[in-house]
Amino acid sequence: MKRIVVGALFAALPLVAAAQAESYALDPYHTFPHFALDYAGYATLYGRFDRTSGQFTLDRAAKKATLELTVDTASVTTGDNERGGRARTRDEHLRTADFFNTAEFPRMTYKSTKVVFRGEEPAEIEGQLTLLGVTRPLTLSVDRWLCKDHPFYKKPGCGGNASGVLKRSEFGMKYAIPVLGDEVRITIMFLGMKQ
Amino acid sequence: MNWLNDPVVQSSAAPFLAALIVGGAMLPVRLAGLAALAGFLTTVYLVGNFTFSPLTATRKIVVLGIAAALIGVVAGLAFRPTRSTGWVLGALFGLSSVWVFWSVLAQRPLLEAFLYGAGIAALVVWLVALTVSLHADPLRAGAAGLALGFGSGVGAVLGASALIGQYGLALGSACGAFLLLAMILGKRAAAGTVLTLTASVLGALLGAAAMMLAKLPWTSLVALASIPLLVRLPIGARTPGWVQGVVASIYALVGAGAACALAWHASRSPIA
Repeated sequence: MKRIVVGALFAALPLVAAAQAESYALDPYHTFPHFALDYAGYATLYGRFDRTSGQFTLDRAAKKATLELTVDTASVTTGDNERGGRARTRDEHLRTADFFNTAEFPRMTYKSTKVVFRGEEPAEIEGQLTLLGVTRPLTLSVDRWLCKDHPFYKKPGCGGNASGVLKRSEFGMKYAIPVLGDEVRITIMFLGMKQ
Repeated sequence: MNWLNDPVVQSSAAPFLAALIVGGAMLPVRLAGLAALAGFLTTVYLVGNFTFSPLTATRKIVVLGIAAALIGVVAGLAFRPTRSTGWVLGALFGLSSVWVFWSVLAQRPLLEAFLYGAGIAALVVWLVALTVSLHADPLRAGAAGLALGFGSGVGAVLGASALIGQYGLALGSACGAFLLLAMILGKRAAAGTVLTLTASVLGALLGAAAMMLAKLPWTSLVALASIPLLVRLPIGARTPGWVQGVVASIYALVGAGAACALAWHASRSPIA
C-alpha cells in the first residue's frame, strides 16, 4: 500500500509542475508591436504591425517564463496608405525588398531564451529575433505588467508593454540609412489570456 | 567619399565608367562584353548590401548574373554559337529562375505559384534565346542590354523597389557604355555570348523580381520581352555606326518605355 501511494505521488509530480506553469495565448486585438526610428533628423517616424500572434507561459513560483511571437510583416503600417498623386505609398515601399521583403519573408519571429524576474514579475526578456532570414539577439525590457481577471473576457489575463532597441542594418535592412535611422526602437503592447 | 553614396552615382555614372574601362581593356581579347557584368557588380558593391547568407532572391540574381557572364565567356571562346545555343542557354537559366524565386513561390497557392514560376521561366527562355542570337551584332546587342536594364530598372522604381531599380539601371548604364564602344569601334567591340547572356539573364530576372518582390505589373514584363524583337528592325546598314547605334537604341527603348508606362499606369490604380 505504501509503495502504491509513493508511486502515485511520483506519477503526479509532473502534473503539479505543469499546473504551476500557466499558458497564455496572445490576444491579436490587443497585441501590437510598434516601431520608431529617426526620419532625416527632423522627427521620429512611428509604425506598427497590425497582425501578431503568439503565446507565453508563466511559472511564478519557479520564476520562469517563455514567450513566442509571430508577426505578419505584410501588416506593417505607418499611416501612409493612400497614393494620392504618387506612384506608391510608403507602406507599399516598406513591404518590398528594400525593407521587409514580405513576399519572401512574410513572418518575423521572436523567441525568448531567458526571462529575468524582479520579485514575482518578469522584468527582462532575452531572446532571438528572426527578421529577413537573419537571427540576432534582442532583449526586451518589460515596462508594464499586470495580471488580473479581464473585465470583459471574464477570465484571467496578463498584459503590459515591453520595449527594446535593434539596429536594422544587422538584419540586412540597409536601405536609406542614414536618412532613415538605423536604430529602431520596438515597443510592444500585449495582452495574453489564460488557456 | 560621400558622392559614392549617392544612389544616382551608384547606379549610373559608376557602372558606366567601370563598364567603359573593363570593356576597353578587354577589347584585344574580344571580351568587351564583360562590360555588362563589370558595371553591374560595381553597383552591387557600392550599394553594399551583398552577403551570401541569407541567399535571398535578389542575391541569387547577382549569383546568376556572374554565372551568366562566366558561361558566356566559355561559350564564346569554346565554340561558335549556333541558332540553338540561345535556346539551350535560355532553358538552363529558365530552370534556374525557379531556384531564384523558390522562396517566394513556395509560399503562394499551388496554381498561382505554377503560373508565376512558368511565366518567369518562359520570359527568361525567350529573352535569353533572342538576345543571345544578337551575339554577332554589337550595336543591336548593346541597345537591347541598355533597354532591358533601363526598362527593368525604371519599372522597378515605379514598382516601389529602389534596390532592384538601382541594379536594373546599373545594367542599363553598363550596356550603354558597351554600346558607346561599339558605336565608335564597330565590330571590334565584340558583344559575344558574354554580353548578350549577362544582359538578358539579369534584365529578365530583375524585371521578374520587381514583379514578385515589389509591384511591377506582369504586363510590363511582356513589354520588356518585345525588346530583342524591336532591335531587329532595320537600322540602315550604310549609315555610320553611331547612327545605327542611336536608331537601334530608340527601337529598343520603345519596349522599355512601354514597360515603364504600364508600370506607371498600374501605379495610378487604387491599392488592391
